[in-house]
Order: sequence, then C-alpha cells, then structure tokens
Amino acid sequence: MTREPSMRGTRNRLWLAVVLVAVSVWPRVAVAASSITGTVMFDGKVPALKPLAMDAEPVCHKKHGGKPAANEALVLGTGNSMGNIMVWVSKGLPAGKTYPVPQTPVVINQDGCEYKPHVMGIMVGQAYRILNSDGILHNIHTLPKLNPSFNRGQPATVKEMSTSFPKPEGMFQVKCDVHPWMSAYVGVFTHPFFSVTSADGKFTISGLDPGTYEITAWHERLGTKTASITVGANETKTQGFKFAVPAAK
Amino acid sequence: MTDKVVVAPTPHAAHEVHHEELGFWRKYVFSTDHKVIGIQYAVTGLLFLLFGFSLMMLMRWQLAYPGVPLPLIGALFGEARMPGGTMLPEFYNELGAMHGTIMVFLGVVPLAVGGFGNFVLPLQIGAPDMAFPKINMVSYWCLFLGGITMLGSFFIPGGAAQSGWTSYTPLADIAGTGQTFWLIGMIFLITSSLLGALNFITTTIQLRAKGLTFMRFPFFCWAQFVTAFLLLLAFPPLEAAGVMQLMDRVAGTSFFLPSGLVVSGQALTNAGGGNPLLWQHLFWFLAHPEVYVLILPGMGIVAEIIANNTRKPLWGYRSMVYSLVFLGFMSFIVWAHHMFMTGMGTTMAAFFQTTTMIISIPSVVILTALIISLWGGSIRFNTPMLFAVAFLPMFGIGGLTGLPLGLNIADIPLHDTYYVIAHFHYVVAPGTIFALMAGIYYWYPKATGRKMNETLGKIHFVGSLICMNVIFMPMFIIGLAGVSRRLFDAGTAYEFAQPTMHWNAVSSWGAWTLALFQLPFIFNFFWSLRKGETVGENPWQATTIEWSAPSPPPHGNFLGTPEAYRGPYEYSVPGAAKDFIPQYEA
Repeated sequence: MTREPSMRGTRNRLWLAVVLVAVSVWPRVAVAASSITGTVMFDGKVPALKPLAMDAEPVCHKKHGGKPAANEALVLGTGNSMGNIMVWVSKGLPAGKTYPVPQTPVVINQDGCEYKPHVMGIMVGQAYRILNSDGILHNIHTLPKLNPSFNRGQPATVKEMSTSFPKPEGMFQVKCDVHPWMSAYVGVFTHPFFSVTSADGKFTISGLDPGTYEITAWHERLGTKTASITVGANETKTQGFKFAVPAAK
Repeated sequence: MTDKVVVAPTPHAAHEVHHEELGFWRKYVFSTDHKVIGIQYAVTGLLFLLFGFSLMMLMRWQLAYPGVPLPLIGALFGEARMPGGTMLPEFYNELGAMHGTIMVFLGVVPLAVGGFGNFVLPLQIGAPDMAFPKINMVSYWCLFLGGITMLGSFFIPGGAAQSGWTSYTPLADIAGTGQTFWLIGMIFLITSSLLGALNFITTTIQLRAKGLTFMRFPFFCWAQFVTAFLLLLAFPPLEAAGVMQLMDRVAGTSFFLPSGLVVSGQALTNAGGGNPLLWQHLFWFLAHPEVYVLILPGMGIVAEIIANNTRKPLWGYRSMVYSLVFLGFMSFIVWAHHMFMTGMGTTMAAFFQTTTMIISIPSVVILTALIISLWGGSIRFNTPMLFAVAFLPMFGIGGLTGLPLGLNIADIPLHDTYYVIAHFHYVVAPGTIFALMAGIYYWYPKATGRKMNETLGKIHFVGSLICMNVIFMPMFIIGLAGVSRRLFDAGTAYEFAQPTMHWNAVSSWGAWTLALFQLPFIFNFFWSLRKGETVGENPWQATTIEWSAPSPPPHGNFLGTPEAYRGPYEYSVPGAAKDFIPQYEA
C-alpha cells in the first residue's frame, strides 16, 4: 500500500522521458528522410572501346573464357543508361555536421584481373578491404592527391588486405602495376550521400535533410556534371544526368 | 746555481709520459687508441654481417617457397610486411636493398678496413697509434651513426629503403621515406670512410718504423694503403651524388629527374632537366673501386697467412705489389661495365670492356702468386690457413665468372640475372669473408692474448666452405637460365624459370645450414676470450712487426721502439737457426 504512489510516480516519469525523447528525435527523423534519385544516360553515338586482352595472364584469360574482357570504362544498359557513374552531394550539407562512419568495410575484389566494383565511394576512416580472388600476384596501387598512396603487392596466397583513407578526396584511380589494364576509381567522402549507378543508370541518395544541394555526377573519362536541387521534408526529387562524348575540336 | 741537464726522451719514453689511466668511457667507448677503435669497428662489422645475413635468410625463405607463410616467426613482422607470415614484395625489396647496403657498407668494409686496418696496420708498421687518433675516433662514430640511421629506417612508416643497394634514380628519387634515411645514413658512412682513409694514408707514410721501406711492407700494409686511396678518391663523387639525390627528394631539385617523367600514369611536377644516368655514373664510379675495397684487404690478410703457414716468402712479392697498385689505378676506369645495358655507344662499351679485361690481369697475377706460394711449402693447416687457402679457389671462381660480364656482348643476356649474384658473391662471400675469418683466427691471439679453439674453427671452416658453394653454385645455373635477380617470387610467374625453381630451395637450405655453422664460431669467439690457450707475443712464429708487441699490446703498442731490418717474409732462410727471421730482429 505504501509503495503504490511511488510506483505510479516512477511510471509517470518513464512516460515523460519517452515523450520527451520522441518529441526531440521526431523532427530529426522526419526531416532526414528526403531523397534524390535519378538516372544517368549516355547521349550520342556510342564509341567502340577496345576490349581488354588478358593473354598475358593465363589465369584471368581463362576466367574470361579465353576471350578479351569488356572494357569497363563505358558500361551501358538498356536505352544507353550508364553504369559506373559516381553521384554525390558536393555542396549544401550543413557545415560542421559529422556523420557516423559505417562499421562495415567497403570491399574491392580482384577477380578475373578486374576490380569489382569498378567505381566505389567510401567514407573517411572507413575500412577498405582488398580481396584477391584470382590467386595470382596483384599489386594494388592507389593514386590519390591528398591521401597517402597505398602501393602494395598482394601475392597469390595473401587473400585479403585492408587500409583506409584519412582525408576526403574526389575520385582517384586505383591500379595494378602487374596488370596494366586493371583500373578502378574511389571517392572518399565525409558523408554517406553518394551512390554509384549500376548498368540501369539509376542512383539514389537518401537520408538527406530538407534543403538545397548541389549534386555531382562523375564519369572516369567524360568528366563531371552538376545540378542544383531542392528537397523538402520526406520528399524524393528526381534529377537525371546525360553524358556525351565531347565533339572533336 | 746548479746546471740542469735535460735529457730528451726517446720517442717511446715520450709516449710513456701520457700513460695516465683513462676512465671507462674514454678507454672503451670514446677511445682514441687504434686497437680499441679497430675492435669497435670489427665487432660492429661482425654484428652487421650477422644482421645482413639474417635479412638474406628471410629472403631465401621467400625464394625457396614463394608465397608460403614463414612458420613460427613470419607473423612477427606484422600485417604490413608479412600478413599471416607471407612475405609481401615490398618487404622483399626492403630486405634486398638493406641486405646489400648493410653487407657492403656496414659489414665487410668496417671489418676489413676499419677493423683489420685499424688494429693491424699501425702494429705492422711499428707505429704507436694512428697519425690522427681523434679523427680515428670520429671516423668510427660516424660509422655508428650511419648504422643507427640505417637500422632506424626499418621502424619508420613505409619501412627501410627499397630501391636496391644501388639506389638507381628515378626510382629512388620518388621512393618512400626509407630512401631519405638511406641517403643520410650513407653520408655518415662515406664521411667515416673518408676520415679513415686520410688517417691510413698519413699513418702509413709518416709513422713507419725506422728501416721499414715501402718494399719491406708486409703485403697487408700495401693492400690497406691502396685501399685507403680507393676510398679517398672514389667516395667523394658518391657523397656528392647522395647529397644531390637527397636534394631531389626533400628540396625539389631535379638532378636525376628528367623532364616529363610520368609515374603510374601521372606526370610528376618536378622541374625536370635532370639525368637518371648521371646517378649511375656517380654511383659506379665509387662502387667499382668499392669492389676492390672489399677484396684487397682480404688479399692482404690471405698473403700474410699463406706466407706464415707455408713457411716460405711470398712468391713474386714485388709483382704482387706492382699489380696491386696497378689494380687500384685501373679500378677507376672500369665503372661503366656495370652500365652496358644503358645503351652506351659501342665506342664507350669497347673502351670499358677493354679496361675491364686489363684489370683482370693484376688480379690474376696476385692470385697466381699466392697459389704458387703454396708450392713446396711445409704447410700448416691451422684454421686461419684453411680459410686463407679456401679463399683462393673461391675468389678464383668469382673473378673468372666476372669476365663474361665485362664483355658487352655476353653481359647483355646475363645482366641482372642470378649469374651476377653468384659471381659477386663468390668474390665477397666465400672470397672476402673467408679471408676476414682467416684474419680473425690469425690476429685474435694478438688482440686477446689467447688462441681460438682449433677444433671449433675447423668445424666452422668445413661447414662454411660446403654451404657457401651449396648457396652460390646453383645461382649460376639459375642465372644462365635467364632468371632475373629482382623477382620476389623467384620467377614463379615465368615458364622459363620453372626448371630452375628447385635450385632455390637447395640454395636456401645451404644458407640456413651456413647459419648453423656460424654458431661454433660465435661460441669460440666468446669462449676463447677466457678459456682459449694463452699465447705469447708471437704464437704463429711470424716475421712481421706486429708480432714483436705483447699480446695484447699495451697503449703505445711496443715495449721498445721497433725497427725493421729486413723484408717481411724471411721464412726458411737457408742456414738460419730457425725457420723464420722476424723483420724486427737485428
């Protein structure tokens, strides 16, 4: 009998706390649900890229059925949608705001003497896991301007290595010094608002606050395109990009 | 008033005036006594030889079993060097570059020149010390700093230098921080050698005992004398080159970086206008005479021991001396035979291959004289003599297999193959290092007053002789098959290398067994300090002046003032009461 008022008081305080937390978090949850999506298309006549001959590396040559592999510099889907395009928020994020770094690593695999994926984004400090599925000697050589270069051989028996990038940096190349045709590209960001298109050309950047943003689309040979876009709370806006081979001067 | 008669002290008595007792630091650490400095050099050199040898044993695992994790100790080297115990190529390059650098500049040279030169040369010419004792001390401490810098580079991010012991540009110009440490270390080492060379030359000329004319010099003195000139004249270009490469790396200059250099698909932003070949010229202008710096002291040691243990004068002493001087001179005009592959014109190639063929003649004269010296001798096969005798065929194999490399047309297919490794290792490993081992066993009694154990010495010798050949002979086979010396996996990826792969395992097991056969030597070295047979001043019944000093010699070296009365090798003189007449006995 004497404990009942005390238990009621505790219950009330608990509810009050739940309500306060809900009230304080709700607007944030609500506003961080905006997205930008779109499709990247190739415009104009599709150039014929030279396929990658891997005769010099019998293991990889065999993995590709003894035929040259498709050149990954231009990956087109139905209707000339473009794969391997990195799209990211380049301006408009609140200054000074930090974003948690994912615990899961970004994985790059050397498979059939190709980097898979070919284009990838990673956050500053996030683990970058380098796999060697080929069972032959590879060499992973990053060519950043701002970050320390990582240049290390990966012998057949070393299946996995790991590194990370301490500074944000736009797209830079990763190459293999053993197999000169091997190439990949990495962008290092302070935020998670980036997306790489698959062959259908589609990208989605979600979890944004309402606001006006500049987004950039990048292709390894055709350069960058930017667009400004405003999203409201819980809104999904669409922004497409088109890349074309510049006209010869 | 009393007249005072002042008696001028004799040179040695004058020296006695300064025999105050020194504290530990000045006596054993910052000593100016040539004998202590010689021992410091020798011990430092031996430790670095052991360290450099250990680096090579790691490499040999990778070459014998490419990609297989090194059991037990592999994981100790960390994920960045040996993930899961498997050696990464960068670590292999680190080991290769530092093995070469350490063995040459921190192992053999400090032991052969700094150790034996410092300890034996002043004693052998009857001098109380070096001409410049303090410079002598500075010389050792420069070497020490250079060694520490080289060792320290293993612990910096990215590790030690990976551009080979030759540090070819432009690779070395753009390599990691370890290369900067390498260059700073080399500047210390070169400074050390230059100071030492000045001291050796001045001491040899100025502090000779009365009666010790140049043609009464023991051959070892001549060898050290010529070596000092090689160091003095050949090292400055490399020191300048080292500073220039350092400036390229840290100050933005382009001495060795050409314009328009593209690295990994990216254009460098350096000023350009430099020439990578300039580095090669400056490097080899030192490094070829350096080959003779490595071998001449060894020849000197072997000559002393052969004369002593055959109980005969050296055959053709004068021819040997003239050959030595000629060899020293010629060593300055053969350097570009290391560079036939750089595309030099046929005229230049013809010049350098001609000089290279010519320089082989004095080497052959010396080797032949030493072999003929054995003929008819009453040979004592003690441990120093065994090593000295083994030096002859080992150096012979090394020297003769160098001739094809000196010819442009033969060098092209052999260049940078394991053949080259086999060739120069026969010169400096079972060649020079055997000579140095002979010297250690021979002069150990002089330094300590005790002999090293003969049984352990012979076990050391037999094991080392067999293992050295097991290591290096297969490399000729691998090299003639065309396998490059730079491959971290011994050529696993190449079809043509497959038939030779098993030879790598043979070679590696030879190396690891060789390490086991050094254990008797290491034990013997320390055990004999206290338990070795006590000896007098002349345990080998030798003729040269150092054997007139007490064993070990006191500060100032001699109890009286030594004088030379005859040539250095008066053994088995007909009609003499004993089979040797020391040159210091009237």
